[in-house]
Amino acid sequence: MSGLTGADAIEALGASRYYTMGEATVRAVDDVSFTIGRGEFAALLGPSGSGKSTLLNLLAGLDHLTAGSIVVAGRDLNTMDSEALARYRRLTVGMIFQSFNLVPTMTLADNIELPLRFAETPRSERHERVLELLTNVGLAHRASHKPTELSGGEQQRAAIARALANRPSLLLADEPTGNLDSRNGQEVMTLLRELNEKMAVTVLMVTHDPALADRYARKSLHMADGKLVSREEALR
Amino acid sequence: MIRQDLFELAARNMRNARLRNALTTMGIAVGVASLVAMLSLGIGLQGFANHQLMKSGMFQTVFVTSRQDIRNAEEQADAKPDAKPEESPALNDDARKKIAALPGVEEVSPEVRATAEVEYGGRTNFTLLAGLPESAREEDAVEKVKGRFFSSANADEVLLRRDFAKKLEKDDPDSMLGKTVILRYAERQSGDSSDSFSIERKEKQFRVVGLLDEEPFGGMRMISRARVFLPTQTAEVMNLMQPADTQQLVRSTPGSRTYSMLTVRMKSAAYAEKVEESVKKMNYSAYSYLDATKSIRRFFAVLDMFLGIFGSLALAVASLAIVNTLVMAVLERRREIGIMKALGASDADVKKLFFAEAATMGLIGGALGVVLGWVMGRAINFGTNFYLHRMKMPAENLWTVPLWLVAGAIGFAVLVSVLAGIYPAARAAKLDPVQALRYE
Repeated sequence: MSGLTGADAIEALGASRYYTMGEATVRAVDDVSFTIGRGEFAALLGPSGSGKSTLLNLLAGLDHLTAGSIVVAGRDLNTMDSEALARYRRLTVGMIFQSFNLVPTMTLADNIELPLRFAETPRSERHERVLELLTNVGLAHRASHKPTELSGGEQQRAAIARALANRPSLLLADEPTGNLDSRNGQEVMTLLRELNEKMAVTVLMVTHDPALADRYARKSLHMADGKLVSREEALR
Repeated sequence: MIRQDLFELAARNMRNARLRNALTTMGIAVGVASLVAMLSLGIGLQGFANHQLMKSGMFQTVFVTSRQDIRNAEEQADAKPDAKPEESPALNDDARKKIAALPGVEEVSPEVRATAEVEYGGRTNFTLLAGLPESAREEDAVEKVKGRFFSSANADEVLLRRDFAKKLEKDDPDSMLGKTVILRYAERQSGDSSDSFSIERKEKQFRVVGLLDEEPFGGMRMISRARVFLPTQTAEVMNLMQPADTQQLVRSTPGSRTYSMLTVRMKSAAYAEKVEESVKKMNYSAYSYLDATKSIRRFFAVLDMFLGIFGSLALAVASLAIVNTLVMAVLERRREIGIMKALGASDADVKKLFFAEAATMGLIGGALGVVLGWVMGRAINFGTNFYLHRMKMPAENLWTVPLWLVAGAIGFAVLVSVLAGIYPAARAAKLDPVQALRYE
C-alpha cells in the first residue's frame, strides 16, 4: 500500500458513499480516487450538493464508505471500528466548520479543553496547552469569553485552536470562511497557511470559491455530482 | 474520558439547565423521602412490636399443662386423638425435673396462685396472690417497678400493684415501701390418707419492696391478674392451697402434689420449638407463642414489602422524570453531541456523560430525599408522641431510620437514576454526528 511509504497524507481509492432515499439511490460520492501529499495545502471545490462535504465527513471518520477505501496517515479507515474512529478523530484529524461549532455554553478555554479531555491529557498540562493554543491564534485575552461574545473571525480562530489541540497531522476545513466577511476571512486563511507552512499540518479545505483555492491551495480537486472532474470540466 | 472530567462536564451540563434538573432532582428526593418514610415506619413498628413482645419473655416461654387438666379436655381431639386424658401422666415433681433437664431450659416454675388477706396498718384487704419467677426480673412491667425486685429467689418479700396498695394506704402508697405487711392464707397439709388433705389458716410477715404500675407479662398470663406478688420459691414452700387442688382431690390420684401448669423458660427463643416438641412427646400439653411470632414476622415482612412498594412508586414516577429530562437534553444538545463526536468523543464517552448526569441527579436527589424522609419521620414521631402524651401514655419511638436504610436509599436512588438513563444515554450515543452537525 502506498500509504506505507509515508509520502501521502490521504489516499482515496474508488471511495463511494451512497444513500438510499426511498426507492432512489443517491450517489453523494461516487468512485473518487485521489492522493494528497503530506504537508500539502489542498482545496476541494464544487457547487453545493456536489458531494464535497460528504467526502470531507468520510475523511474525518464521521461517515462510512459504501465502497472503496480511504487511507489516512497510513491507516485504512475501513478497518476501524467506532472506538478506533473516535480515536482517529481525536488524535489524527482536526475539523473546522463553516458555522464554527463552538459549544455556546462553554468559554473559549473550555471549548479548547474539550478535545484534551477526550484524549485524557493530564490535567496538569491542560491549562498551559489551552493558553498556548489561544496565544497562537491571538485570543489569549478572550479565554474566559463565551463564543457569542466574539466576532465571527475570532470564533473561527478559536475553532482552529480547538482543532489543533491534540496536534493532528491533518486539518479538514469545511468552508471555513463561508460565514465571514472578507477581512476576517483573509485573517483565517492566513492563519491556516501559517499552520500549514510552519507546523507542516496537511490542510484540506472545502470551498466553492475558486479564487480562494487559487490563492492559497497548491492543489485543487473539483467535484461535480459526486465525482472528481478536471478543472476544465468544472468550469464548463 | 477520566471520571473527574466526566463529572465536571455533567455538572456543567446540569447547571446549564438548572431549573429542569433541579425539579427532576427534587422529584427523586420526594420519591426517596417517601421510600425512606415508609420503610422506616415499617422498621420502627416492627422494632416497637418486637421490643414489647420480647420484653414479655413470651417467645422464650413454653406453658406446660397436664392433659388431665379439665381446661385441656376440649383440646384433646386435635392434639393427639389416640391419647386419652386419663393416660396422660401427672404433672408432678418428676415431670418438672425431666423438663428442667431438657436442653436450653433455664427455669421451670409452677404457676402459683392463691387467695389471701393482706393486713397493713390495721387495714385488711382480700386479694389474689401469685408467685413471680426469678426470670421475671427482666420483664417490662417489673423493670419499671417503683422500688426494687425481690432480693433473692426465696425472700419473704412482696411486690404490690399500686392500685391495691392504694386500698391499704390511700394517700401515699409509696410510703409502704420497706414496710411490713401480714399475709393470711390457706395452707394445704398432707391428710391422714392419700385420699385427703387438710387446710389450715396461716399468717406470715412480708416486706413490701416494690410497687408495680402495670400488669406483669403484659397481662398475658394467668398470674398477671394478681395484686400481690411473692417469689415463686417462697410461695411453693408455703404450700398454698390452690384452686386446682380440689380438682386434683376428686381425681383418682391425689397423693403427691401435682401442678396445674408449669412455665418453662428457655435461654433463648431458639429453643422454644424443640422444648415444646419434647414436652409433647412426654404426653403433656404444651403451648408457646412461637406460632404467633411466626405470623407476626410474616405480617411485618408483608407490611414492609407493601410500604416499600408504595414508597418505590414515587421513585418510579421520579425515574420517568429523569428519562424525560435526559431525553429533552439529548434533543436540545444534539449539536453539542455532534461536536463532541467530531472532536473525538467515543460513543462510550457520550453514553457515560449521560449516565454521569443521571447518577449525579440520583445522588443529590437521594441525599436530599433521605434528609427529607428523616425530617418527615421526626415530625410524625413528634406528632405520635404528642398524642400519646395527651392520652397519658409513655412516648414511643415508632420511627427508626437505620444507617443501612440511609445508604440503601441513596444507592437505590443512584441505581434507579442510572437505569432511567439507559435509554437517553443510548440515544445520545447513537446520534449520527453528520446529521447532528448539518447546518440548519
